[in-house]
Amino acid sequence: SFFSRYIFCVSGDFVKVYSTATEECVHILHGHRNLVTGIQLNPNNHLQLYSCSLDGTIKLWDYIDGILIKTFIVGCKLHALFTVAQAEDSVFVTVNKEKPDIFQLVSVKLPKSSSQEVEAKELSIVLDYINQSPKCIAFGNEGVYVAAVRDFYLSVYFFKKKTTSRFTLSSSRNKKHAKNNFTCVACHPKEDCIASGHMDGKIRLWRNFYDEKKYTYTCLHWHHDMVMDLAFSVTGSSLLSGGHESVLVEWRDAMEKNKEFLPRLGATIEHISVSPAGDLFCTSHSDNKIMIIHRNLEASAVIQGLVKDRSIFTGLMIDPRTKALVLNGKPGHLQFYSLQSDKQLYNLDIMQQEYINDYGLIQIELTKAAFGCFGNWLATVEQRQEKETELELQMKLWMYSKKTQGFILNTKIHMPHEDCITALCFCNAEKSEQPTLVTASKDSYFKVWILTDDSDIYKKAVGWTCDFVGSYHKYQATNCCFSEDGSLLAVSFEEIVTIWDSETWELKCTFCQRAGKIRHLCFGRLTCSKYLLGATENGILSCWNLLSCALEWSAKLNVRVMEPDPNSENIAAISQSSVGSDLFVFKPSEPRPLYIQKGISREEVQWGVFVPRDVPESFTSEAYQWLNRSQFYFLTKSQSLLTFSTKSPEEKLTPTSKQLLAEESLPTTPFYFILGKHRQQQDEKLNETLENELVQLPLTENIPAISELLHTPAHVLPSAVFLCSMFVNSLLLSKETKSAEEIPKDVDMEEEKESENSDEENDFTEKIQDTNNKDLGEDIIHQLSKSEEKELRKFRKIDYSWIAAL
Amino acid sequence: MGEFKVHRVRFFNYVPSAIRCVAYNNHSNRLAVSRTDGTVEIYNLSANYFQEKFFPGHESRATEALCWAEGQRLFSAGLNGEIIEYDLQALKIKYAMDAFGGPIWSMAASPSGSQLLIGCEDGSVKLFQITPDKIQFERNFDRQKSRILSLSWHPSGTHIAAGSIDYISVFDVKSGSAVRKMIVDRQYMGVSKRKCIVWGVAFLSDGTIISVDSAGKVQFWDSATGTLVKSHLIANADVQSIAVANQEDSFVVGTAEGTVFHFQLVPVTSNSSEKQWVRTKPFQHHTHDVRTVAHSPTSLISGGTDTHLVIRPLMEKLEVKNYDAALRKITFPHRRLISCSRKRQLLLFQFAHHLELWRLGSTVATGTVEAMCLLAVSPDGNWLAASGTSAGVHLHCTVPAYNFPVTAMAIAPNTNNLVIAHSDQQVFEYSIPDKHYTDWSRTVQKHGFHHLWLQRDTPITHISFHPKRPMHILLHDAYMFCIIDKSLPLPNDKTLLYNPFPPTNESDVVQRRTAHAFKISKIYKPLLFMDLLDERTLVAVERPLDDIIAQLPPPIKKKKFGT
Repeated sequence: SFFSRYIFCVSGDFVKVYSTATEECVHILHGHRNLVTGIQLNPNNHLQLYSCSLDGTIKLWDYIDGILIKTFIVGCKLHALFTVAQAEDSVFVTVNKEKPDIFQLVSVKLPKSSSQEVEAKELSIVLDYINQSPKCIAFGNEGVYVAAVRDFYLSVYFFKKKTTSRFTLSSSRNKKHAKNNFTCVACHPKEDCIASGHMDGKIRLWRNFYDEKKYTYTCLHWHHDMVMDLAFSVTGSSLLSGGHESVLVEWRDAMEKNKEFLPRLGATIEHISVSPAGDLFCTSHSDNKIMIIHRNLEASAVIQGLVKDRSIFTGLMIDPRTKALVLNGKPGHLQFYSLQSDKQLYNLDIMQQEYINDYGLIQIELTKAAFGCFGNWLATVEQRQEKETELELQMKLWMYSKKTQGFILNTKIHMPHEDCITALCFCNAEKSEQPTLVTASKDSYFKVWILTDDSDIYKKAVGWTCDFVGSYHKYQATNCCFSEDGSLLAVSFEEIVTIWDSETWELKCTFCQRAGKIRHLCFGRLTCSKYLLGATENGILSCWNLLSCALEWSAKLNVRVMEPDPNSENIAAISQSSVGSDLFVFKPSEPRPLYIQKGISREEVQWGVFVPRDVPESFTSEAYQWLNRSQFYFLTKSQSLLTFSTKSPEEKLTPTSKQLLAEESLPTTPFYFILGKHRQQQDEKLNETLENELVQLPLTENIPAISELLHTPAHVLPSAVFLCSMFVNSLLLSKETKSAEEIPKDVDMEEEKESENSDEENDFTEKIQDTNNKDLGEDIIHQLSKSEEKELRKFRKIDYSWIAAL
Repeated sequence: MGEFKVHRVRFFNYVPSAIRCVAYNNHSNRLAVSRTDGTVEIYNLSANYFQEKFFPGHESRATEALCWAEGQRLFSAGLNGEIIEYDLQALKIKYAMDAFGGPIWSMAASPSGSQLLIGCEDGSVKLFQITPDKIQFERNFDRQKSRILSLSWHPSGTHIAAGSIDYISVFDVKSGSAVRKMIVDRQYMGVSKRKCIVWGVAFLSDGTIISVDSAGKVQFWDSATGTLVKSHLIANADVQSIAVANQEDSFVVGTAEGTVFHFQLVPVTSNSSEKQWVRTKPFQHHTHDVRTVAHSPTSLISGGTDTHLVIRPLMEKLEVKNYDAALRKITFPHRRLISCSRKRQLLLFQFAHHLELWRLGSTVATGTVEAMCLLAVSPDGNWLAASGTSAGVHLHCTVPAYNFPVTAMAIAPNTNNLVIAHSDQQVFEYSIPDKHYTDWSRTVQKHGFHHLWLQRDTPITHISFHPKRPMHILLHDAYMFCIIDKSLPLPNDKTLLYNPFPPTNESDVVQRRTAHAFKISKIYKPLLFMDLLDERTLVAVERPLDDIIAQLPPPIKKKKFGT
């Protein structure tokens, strides 16, 4: 903002207003119905902000109070927004014309009107055939000209002369110029000078561009990879550039030798912006972070969301101390992410090495991590494999230091195993006197590490040493798991599960089902601690009774993720099918699920975790009892973090269905991205959509189906997928269908209960599907005509896409 | 065509000496180049950059400064303390005059061309009046503490700027007193380095002085107030030379890192008259120090320790993009440095200060002779052709004049036809007995040469004939060897000129159809000399560039990214 007090960033459909001093989110401006693509301060009133969106509207906000002032409806998809102080009543937007790749820069005349919603239809084309990205357009020298780049062209349009000059760089004629493409452009605020960034890392400063022949340019070359963004300082005395090197470069006086660096910003710089007062710079990074940087190139504040740059190897964990979600963060780091405040708590540098970003370089990956002993210990495994035979492995054990409130490296073990480590677990039994860690590896061994006295003459110290090495018939060890009391250790060797006594390290017994390699292994908790669960690769879930050493039950379920709830007996399993992922919650003692949610995600779910609640909830309904003590979060392949949630207590009476809290992967919107849609917003959004539909069809308010739908308690409602299709259909069909609307609801309610109660067989997946069909079928036969039955079947087939869009 | 046995000679240990100064003459579009061994060469830029004149050097005459005055007069000054004027007609030194100021570091001719200014080791600046046949000492300026390394006249001729060690002084020409003294910052990237040597100054008409110094800076000074206006740090090493265009809208500097930077004066905004100097393009054509630069209206000329003379045309100053717009790099002299005795099988190598005689297939014989320079061709018979530098060829009768200089010529043994190659790559054949051009020559002129032939960079330096095949002419330049077969049809622009000797598996018919008069071989390069020893033996003398570079001092080490 004008006095550098606030910073604006676009996050999906919202614009977030952060305070530059406290890093707190002050306001969220919501109102757009599609991705927000551009934001600009109103040049004539610096307390107002324009934003444009793919939904075809330009909105004017009062960002101090977070109020929408005006909406201008343009109609077509808007891809970027620019404002110029000199053009008082018009703004510039880029729109898409006919062909998918051709964009135009048009100026939109904003009509002066007092009404809230105004149609702005007066468009005039300024430049044709430009790039979609807002980084590729810049207005220069107080709006005298506009520069746009695309591929190998730089086009400059002069408003006074109404002429365009175009400069072309030699393209892929030879190798030297092969990466000459323009990537971004910026204009000097005072002089006629255009800076352009290129694919090969060069920055060109164009001058004298009024003449297509006499133009000249200077090259500045420091970046070795693409220049991601450029910005001039307010006075134009320095130029800022950034790219994949994650170094902010300040070129003073546009001289090659006179440059300053701010290195180690952590991730690729995506955008750079300069505050109008000139005292702050701001960079946004590909790891979901905004950095606020002082004029003297000192980082002053960091607004960090959940880092999701790369693939997650460690899975989701919960730090027992802070209750923060722990997973791979920046390369070589573990991030501690607070789910409550949507903020990164801190980063733990595991690798303690400078990260070199270069394409094709094989990096060290942080592959495994585990917390032990109530958060006192953290074990991490990093590996780097260049070729089949050249494996570098390192295991590190970190101790929590109360003094520094952080983890301190205690033991570093080189090559703990000969091959990749497949599993890592601590013995978390309360009474265990000695911290114990077990690692399982592909080299067919599992090793037990214990904490021993490592004192020497200088100081008292503790360290970890190997205590026991176990193996079973040279099979690869794939999983390991301690029982809740720590007395038993289960290690799976491909298809066989072995049980070891943790006191003596004797092999107690083996379970073998010959049904494919064991993918997941876990002990039951609390009352179910006598059970051991194993999921195999070819889709069998087995439960063994440890007392009788016999198979208790097994089910056909292709389990991707299996997570026990630390606070209850419940175990969540997510199965993967071609349509999507399904969630099952069950107790090991009973071979039927407590709760089923189908189609939680269309993508593959990679990891899941139960997060204990601070204050237990008391859901009375049976379907939600499993969520009383913990919340379940899961991470899909596209790195969306989702959870199951219900309304907060005071809002319980309002109708909501289950919410999917989505942290979607970064969309390609301009300016700043930051993650995190809050649950509240989601709820509001759903309500909003419902309301909007009602507004559009006011008559349907009288339809009892809808009112009933809106007033039924959430837990008895069927899944949103069903609701949606019925809802839409109720609006489309004539009055006759009213009765049909009421009936299916009962059907669905029953259906869920049925599926929970009536299962008695082990093979419950198939059973569910059968019962679903049967129940539906029967009920429909009882109560509905054939045509309506067909309709209902149709509902099932209707696209699930809108739920994904949430 | 036949096959030849080739003596491939690579023991010609020729190393051109480093270029010290270049001076561009605007009137005649000629360029004078002086080398560290005292050699001075004159290039005609209009005649395809041909080196048309050559003054052999002497060890005692190392030049430090070179300038044109009064239109066509060329002066040089050197560390032996003498000012030398060259006789461009007789190709000799007209006179040498001691300036009595110790070694001379710099020299500048006044804008009017009537006065000559020199800067000496003892800190004195001396003004000489140029008289029609000599120069005459006029006055001394205020003596400075240390040597004067660079001098520049204000275009009006009233003031001069002199660059010394650590400071620049401005003199008033009338009074001869120092008006201003501007101290140059010694700081180099924050560290105080050794003394800062002002290697070059340029005085612009608006009173701005541009200086280049050993700290890698290009600085702009206001001579009226003696203040620093702007400073560009462009190199980590010395900036050694500067040259300003006549219009004063651009200048060029050369650094010890081998980079040449171009600066331009561009308007700050389109509608304001305010202009600023902006560094625009860097050119890296040299590996070693760029000791000297020159700015012609259409190109940037640079030379230095790596012995290349580089002529880089400015694209925006050229109307059409043709072959003249290409970069030129001149390494070897446009003369024949080798001669060969066919009967005795001897090779004679000409060096700057001595000759070497080699017997092919045997041991060495060397002898030292005085430097020599001649362009004369003697036939087998009783004809003598002589070519001056002025493009004409004199026999007993005179061959019709042509407006490009002759680069090589020879008289055929049996027919007494004179074959002449010009710097614009034209080749003529003149029958001496009949006193007119031969029919073949006329056909060639009518037909025109292949465009690729005309675009070759280097002139033909030697022509010879096959004793048994009168229809063949053998000629070569630095990059190709060509046998012209006068019996075959001439190539037109559509045919492949650089057709390697056709593959043998093709039928005779195809061979005959594709064959044309120019048989070109590019196997040997850079080729300094090629001649027939006997009917079946060729001798080729090559001088690989890598060998020359290996004998140069090591360049300034620069970190290359990614190594």
